[in-house]
Amino acid sequence: MATSIRTLVLRVVGDSTRNIHHVLGSRVKHSFCNAGITVCRGYSDGKSTHFGFETVPEEDKAERVYKVFESVAKKYDVMNDAMSLGIHRLWKDTLLHIMNPQPGLRLLDTAGGTGDISFRFLEYTHSMYDRQQRQRARSNQTPSWQDLAGHYKTDEAAPSQSRAVVYDINKEMLKVGKQKAEKAGIGTGLSWVMGDAEELPFDDDQFDIYTIAFGIRNVTHIEQALQEAFRVLKPGGRFLCLEFSKVSNPLLERLYDTYSFQMIPVLGEVIAGDWKSYQYLVESIRKFPDQETFKEMIEGAGFFCVQYFNLTGGIVAIHSGFKL
Amino acid sequence: MAALIRGLRAGRVLRVAVQAKLSPQCNNVRRGFHRATLLRVADDRKSDTSVPPPSHHEVHTAGESSSTSAQGESADAAAGQGDAQPNTSYQDQSGEHSEDYETEEQLQTRILTAALEFVPQHGWTVEAIAAAAETLGLSAASTGMFNNGAGDLVLHFISQCNAHLTETLAEQHNQVQLGHTEPKETAQFLRDVVEMRLRMLTPYIDTWPQAMSILLLPHNIPDSLKHLSTMVDDIWYYAGDRSTDLNWYTRRAALTGIYNTTELVMVQDSSPDFEDTWAFLNNRIKDVVNIANTAKQVQATGEALVQGFMGAAITLKNLTGMDQRR
Repeated sequence: MATSIRTLVLRVVGDSTRNIHHVLGSRVKHSFCNAGITVCRGYSDGKSTHFGFETVPEEDKAERVYKVFESVAKKYDVMNDAMSLGIHRLWKDTLLHIMNPQPGLRLLDTAGGTGDISFRFLEYTHSMYDRQQRQRARSNQTPSWQDLAGHYKTDEAAPSQSRAVVYDINKEMLKVGKQKAEKAGIGTGLSWVMGDAEELPFDDDQFDIYTIAFGIRNVTHIEQALQEAFRVLKPGGRFLCLEFSKVSNPLLERLYDTYSFQMIPVLGEVIAGDWKSYQYLVESIRKFPDQETFKEMIEGAGFFCVQYFNLTGGIVAIHSGFKL
Repeated sequence: MAALIRGLRAGRVLRVAVQAKLSPQCNNVRRGFHRATLLRVADDRKSDTSVPPPSHHEVHTAGESSSTSAQGESADAAAGQGDAQPNTSYQDQSGEHSEDYETEEQLQTRILTAALEFVPQHGWTVEAIAAAAETLGLSAASTGMFNNGAGDLVLHFISQCNAHLTETLAEQHNQVQLGHTEPKETAQFLRDVVEMRLRMLTPYIDTWPQAMSILLLPHNIPDSLKHLSTMVDDIWYYAGDRSTDLNWYTRRAALTGIYNTTELVMVQDSSPDFEDTWAFLNNRIKDVVNIANTAKQVQATGEALVQGFMGAAITLKNLTGMDQRR
């Protein structure tokens, strides 16, 4: 037992020192890497892309991302709570508040994985619907016979009118999400679809709201995912993206970097038994474009009224755009 | 297509006429936009306007929507036509397809104008905006464009009413200048103007308390105060006030007080055609006029008294021989 702990500690220390060298070494290469990749993308489709701080051929990235999430699927939610100290729940709640969905809308929760956003969406719309009904009942002291008859009919139909589709490329994540839904007893209005965010198997003008929470940085061709989002949204539909972004405050940035590179992979190893996946996670955050650049990418896909909201000092940003 | 969109992004312009793939759900939108497009093109040929100020843009919207408020889509199309006129003059330098586009603000204005019809049913809430968006063929998710939600709707309505009021006042002023009508005296003018402005609230009077409470929310107070003060300023300007002294402030403060209190009375008035409200308004204006007259009289009396005292003092001095020079 002592030896196993010793080997574990040695491995942890070894990994972290390797990590520091890696980080220091790649800081300089950072800007060159970014410029190089964007130049590549500009001229041709680009033969390689980033996978964290590694450069990999484009065809491989999707597969490697798949493997990452396949291995972390079971401990995904636990790790989220541990890494963000539970704050990810507040981020997702804020996303819902900004969305402010009316009852009866259709949501496409891309990279929905374990279904956090979809569950919150259904809860929100159901409670909104209840509140509207209560207000209608309060203001309507002497309802006519037609209204009463109407209420009996619509009581079952209306709450399930808001529908959410959880869409993910990874079967394991969807499996975990389905189990969660069963346990929570959320059944009506929820569908689970597997597929690639760059090629949505839906017709045009299908959804009112398209969300992608902590998923778009894993997509190989972000512009394609944005264009697909534009395609499947109805006119007036809303695109929402919750994603890690650039921290504005330099002091906070330093703390955040230290926490990301020192603590998170260690937590990943201890809780989920997977150092590399969480190393990929924090590196992919650094490779993602900052708020303004991403806003321009969204506008390039054809969205209007694009704005972003910084949460927790810029650690996370919510981008919103409309198809008008 | 992406490059074209990026190029037009500079003018923050919305592409209407051409979408890559049409589908049955979009037909409503196409119809609305195409009708608006036709009206805009026809209107452009008729009139060549220079860049009109924003109030006129609101005025067109208000004029169209107040006259055709009963019909949903035609009002939207007409409002769209009115909306487009400022746009064509702005777009002239950036694109040939200027008639087909409207900006995000114009679309938002159209949605809010349409939402006013749903206010009696849903109140001043985001649901009214959502219902309006659906009639325009947009998803209810587009209510997210309005960060202030119901506040945006109320402020839009208020600015629409004020713009309509200013337009009417300007017309009346023109008539007086041309000599077609007699100028009204101030008290009568104020009475008529405040009544006209308050009558614009009658379709929404049941839900107006909710709107007033929304206007009193802290983040809405700057905007609502701004609208109120510009309205009062306009009214006094057209009433002929060109004062540059303390009167400027006292007059506007008085009219603000009159307007707010009359509005409150109107909200709980149940008499036929708000007769009680107009009687209240009459009395308040009479009070203000009385105070003004009294102030003048007090000043005159005071001056006369002072002169009298001075005279008495000099007489006394003469009588007692105090000011004799020896």
